[in-house]
Amino acid sequence: MIMESYRQLDDSELVTASLKGDKTAFGEIVTRYQKMVARTVKGMLGDSVYSEDIGQEVFIKLFYSLSDFRGEAKLSTYIQKIAVNLTLNEIKRRKKFFSMFSQKGNNEMYEFEVADHDTEGKKEASEIVYKALNRMDPKFRIIVTMRMLQGYSTKETAEILDLPLGTVLSRLSRAQEQLKSILHKM
Amino acid sequence: MNISEFKDLLIRSLDKESDPAGIPEEIERAGAVFNFGENFQEKVLGRIFDSGLTVVREVEFIRNLNYVFYRIALPGVAAIVLLLISLFLMEGSFSFNSVLGLGNGTEESIITLLTGI
Repeated sequence: MIMESYRQLDDSELVTASLKGDKTAFGEIVTRYQKMVARTVKGMLGDSVYSEDIGQEVFIKLFYSLSDFRGEAKLSTYIQKIAVNLTLNEIKRRKKFFSMFSQKGNNEMYEFEVADHDTEGKKEASEIVYKALNRMDPKFRIIVTMRMLQGYSTKETAEILDLPLGTVLSRLSRAQEQLKSILHKM
Repeated sequence: MNISEFKDLLIRSLDKESDPAGIPEEIERAGAVFNFGENFQEKVLGRIFDSGLTVVREVEFIRNLNYVFYRIALPGVAAIVLLLISLFLMEGSFSFNSVLGLGNGTEESIITLLTGI
């Protein structure tokens, strides 16, 4: 009953209530945006417990930075930026770690895990997406994740990633070529 | 949707001219679902409200500590091995006195060294 009333609140009302320490209000924000965060984090890092850990950190960071949220951008954009930053930091951390032990090329440094899925059909579709993303250059992978898994326009992608529109457009073309070649081999 | 149609959908999603708004739902309908595990919300709320800020900082600290550890672990081990090798070459043994640099010294020579008598 209480949760039901929170579901009807808009984002700014939930933010205001969360800032006052309202646990249920922040819980509603998590419920509302966890799928969006999962798409970004799992698209970039793969399907593993580490992805869930990063996902939790996204919302923890959000909670402690809610006071900085001015409401000029949409809450979803604000959360998405946190998710992208934390995910890219994790990739950098992994890159540094692997570079100490491996002389492999950059692409191989970010190998991520693909967990087992429930049914055969789901497993196949998920595995195609995960494996294709895994084989992509990380700078293309983030563009593809924003476009393919989040459905963002080129302009929105540029805004979230803080990149010029032209850069996003050129990376999108090159990412499509790379994706074609990867999927052709699978 | 068969596999080749699914692959086409993935490639089409990157067309500059296409509207990507409905693509995530189509991908999800094909079976590629992205979500966190059960009780994700409870875990997040638990980490924030039950443990407080300290835990968040602790997690950050542990992650940074791990990172620093990996950076210093290998050079550290290499330095220790080099030290032991040079010690063995200079002193001829790994005795306690060798480690302290007293391999060739006697008590009298140390007293002489310290007191000048």
